[in-house]
Amino acid sequence: MFRYESLEDCPLDEDEDAFQGLGEEDEEIDQFNDDTFGSGAVDDDWQEAHERLAELEEKLPVAVNEHTGNGERDEMDLLGDHEENLAERLSKMVIENELEDPAIMRAVQTRPVLQPQPGSLNSSIWDGSEVLRRIRGPLLAQEMPTVSVLEYALPQRPPQGPEDDRDLSERALPRRSTSPIIGSPPVRAVPIGTPPKQMAVPSFNQQILCPKPVHVRPPMPPRYPAPYGERMSPNQICSVPNSSLLGHPFPPSVPPVLSPLQRAQLLGGAQLQPGRMSPSQFARVPGFVGSPLAAMNPKLLQGRVGQMLPPAPGFRAFFSAPPSATPPPQQHPPGPGPHLQNLRSQAPMFRPDTTHLHPQHRRLLHQRQQQNRNQHRNLNGAGDRGSHRSSHQDHLRKDPYANLMLQREKDWVSKIQMMQLQSTDPYLDDFYYQNYFEKLEKLSAAEEMQGDGPKKERTKLITPQVAKLEHAYKPVQFEGSLGKLTVSSVNNPRKMIDAVVTSRSEDDETKEKQVRDKRRKTLVIIEKTYSLLLDVEDYERRYLLSLEEERPALMDERKHKICSMYDNLRGKLPGQERPSDGPFVSDHVYPKREENGLPVFSFLSTEQAADIPSRTTAQTTSLLLIKKVLPCLLSPFSLLLYHLPSMTVTSLLQQLMNLPQSAAAPAPSNPHLTAVLQNKFGLSLLLILLSRGEDLQSSDSATESTQNNQWTEVMFMATRELLRIPQAALAKPISIPTNLVSLFSRYVDRQKLNLLETKLQRVPYLTKVGTLEVYDCGWGGGDKT
Amino acid sequence: MNYMPGTASLIEDIDKKHLVLLRDGRTLIGFLRSIDQFANLVLHQTVERIHVGKKYGDIPRGIFVVRGENVVLLGEIDLEKENDTPLQQVSIEEILEEQRVEQQTKLEAEKLKVQALKDRGLSIPRADTLDEY
Repeated sequence: MFRYESLEDCPLDEDEDAFQGLGEEDEEIDQFNDDTFGSGAVDDDWQEAHERLAELEEKLPVAVNEHTGNGERDEMDLLGDHEENLAERLSKMVIENELEDPAIMRAVQTRPVLQPQPGSLNSSIWDGSEVLRRIRGPLLAQEMPTVSVLEYALPQRPPQGPEDDRDLSERALPRRSTSPIIGSPPVRAVPIGTPPKQMAVPSFNQQILCPKPVHVRPPMPPRYPAPYGERMSPNQICSVPNSSLLGHPFPPSVPPVLSPLQRAQLLGGAQLQPGRMSPSQFARVPGFVGSPLAAMNPKLLQGRVGQMLPPAPGFRAFFSAPPSATPPPQQHPPGPGPHLQNLRSQAPMFRPDTTHLHPQHRRLLHQRQQQNRNQHRNLNGAGDRGSHRSSHQDHLRKDPYANLMLQREKDWVSKIQMMQLQSTDPYLDDFYYQNYFEKLEKLSAAEEMQGDGPKKERTKLITPQVAKLEHAYKPVQFEGSLGKLTVSSVNNPRKMIDAVVTSRSEDDETKEKQVRDKRRKTLVIIEKTYSLLLDVEDYERRYLLSLEEERPALMDERKHKICSMYDNLRGKLPGQERPSDGPFVSDHVYPKREENGLPVFSFLSTEQAADIPSRTTAQTTSLLLIKKVLPCLLSPFSLLLYHLPSMTVTSLLQQLMNLPQSAAAPAPSNPHLTAVLQNKFGLSLLLILLSRGEDLQSSDSATESTQNNQWTEVMFMATRELLRIPQAALAKPISIPTNLVSLFSRYVDRQKLNLLETKLQRVPYLTKVGTLEVYDCGWGGGDKT
Repeated sequence: MNYMPGTASLIEDIDKKHLVLLRDGRTLIGFLRSIDQFANLVLHQTVERIHVGKKYGDIPRGIFVVRGENVVLLGEIDLEKENDTPLQQVSIEEILEEQRVEQQTKLEAEKLKVQALKDRGLSIPRADTLDEY
């Protein structure tokens, strides 16, 4: 909108007036529109304005174009052929032709080439200052930007005297325009990863929190006496109190100067003073990027379990004797005084994940520092230094650019390198080297044994074995956050699925498996049996249809199938001798075979059939739980039972009543029998058996006496029990055989008979019979109720 | 002196004159001023030395910052012996010219080779083109 020739013309202060003036001038015309499209539009390319500004700067250095060999170019520039010039300048950035290379051109200008003097720094090629001074004239203006500014600075800087300990902290950091953004991480004046500069002074930290465009250089820390031509790194400073042991000429009265960072670390962060300690502090000492961040993390991450190691590995004093037995590290030492003690106690402990230096390495580092210091001290006239060294020192002294890299920075680099040597498994990481050194050592040991000469100190690469720690991943928790924030890194990738593993114990699993298997087996057997049953039924039909000759064969097959069915029912697996346990059959077969099972019994032969009920009765107790199903089985059972011989009946009864085969003293109460009687099925079964027995008794009088005795015993038992049980507890039998009364009457006297009748009175049929009987027996009295 | 034998550490090489060979074939000679853990180098008063046959020429370059991965090798130059070479130093133009000629002859030889191979039905891919892909 406003055309300005230079920056100075910008009326910064007159803005308000100008705009006001505009507004007042003409209200009808839309000024902005006019300016953009109308007459007031100024086609002022910002690029052109920029070019013009650039020109102003270029005018200052004298420039001559070597290509064209004259000042044409300059004129062109001034004339304002901006775009072409820009393109040319850009093309010059990429130098293909060596003739365009300014370095070469410059060198060419310095003809004749002087013979370089041996060992001297003042050869013309090396002495850039002279060269530059000479050829300053003919150089291009455009070429200037491609040449570093420093080169022009070189000749102007007077060669400095032997100042090895020159204060290089004067190196000014570039100006950075920064704006404090609330909530963003602290602005670092020095980018992360730059080597350590120097110690921060407490008063300076305020600057970092509110960064301003103007960089304020930190004030100089107190300088140490000249013999130590280097910065005192914190490591060295820490060692100061102990240095008296080593004959350090350092005044012991000087307290260890520690930056707030170090102090905070030493104190485990316990004494966090506002304004003193801030995350931005670490910006000042970025060299210890590893440890400060490790120190900060415990503060940030409150949820972190585990020891908060005061991460000050770099500050351990190692000059003293090897670290004594380490007491457990104290997290909050009382003050800065004993902090060194605390540090030393930390010595053997180190984080095995190689973020910290192995103590051996640290020792070496310090030793080397010491050596360097000694070197500098004995600059002149150390006897053991060869001429090479002296000349080297000479050069160093004369070299004004020496020690651009601070000792601290060198230590930092070597620290990183040493850290890289740490490994959890040296033989894995560096097999050949380890083997090689082992061989070497063996050789030297052998030599020593023979020669017995002075022991040469063998420098061995220290690849310390760092113990591998199992890091249980503890998710990072942030304080003051709502809910769980997921932070994932390479070491803990985020969980994709929140799946919970439900692992059952071994035993449970096997049990479950067993149960499952059993069920499966049972089902399979049931299936097979049923199919057999169907086949057997089919035989009837086939029998009728088939011819005479084939009938026996069919019969045999049928029999065979029945046998296998029987086996199945018995739980006999094919190939096994003994039938499997009964409960298998009882628990699973019967419940499942309600309808199917009934026809089966009709096909079974007698002895087979007998076995089944016996087994059933034997397991009646377990069956008692399965009340629903058993009554269904009663009818087929009864059919069976009515065909049983007496012996089996007796035995069955005994089984039911849980009596031993041989006569034993009858117990006053038989819990088994009680249970049986209380169960419907059981009672029914019992009654049926009894009736059957009665039938047998009555019909077949020529039974053996033993049998008779047994039978009598059984009867007595049964009756006793029946009498004993209260009526209420007695189950209701499904069916009561008719001849029970006659059975009982034979064994029991009238009174008991009466009782029995009353107990079984629920069934009207019996009552009727009973009353009739009573009447017949001549009981006096009234009606029976 | 070296407290870590078997390792390569450039710490002791600081402030000494070095010859650095880069991956693109350039030879730099300069004072090693600074290093870092990646072996990035800061060379001071650097000179690029071009060798053609028995002649060489130096082009002063100033300060070089070399990325560590591009360094093939480097070695310290013994200042006393550094000029004790059978090589003859020539001017820059001369050496550049020589270099150009050398390049040209090489290219021509390569072309002939490729042609001969092509005639026989073989083809060997050029190593430099391999890098690009």
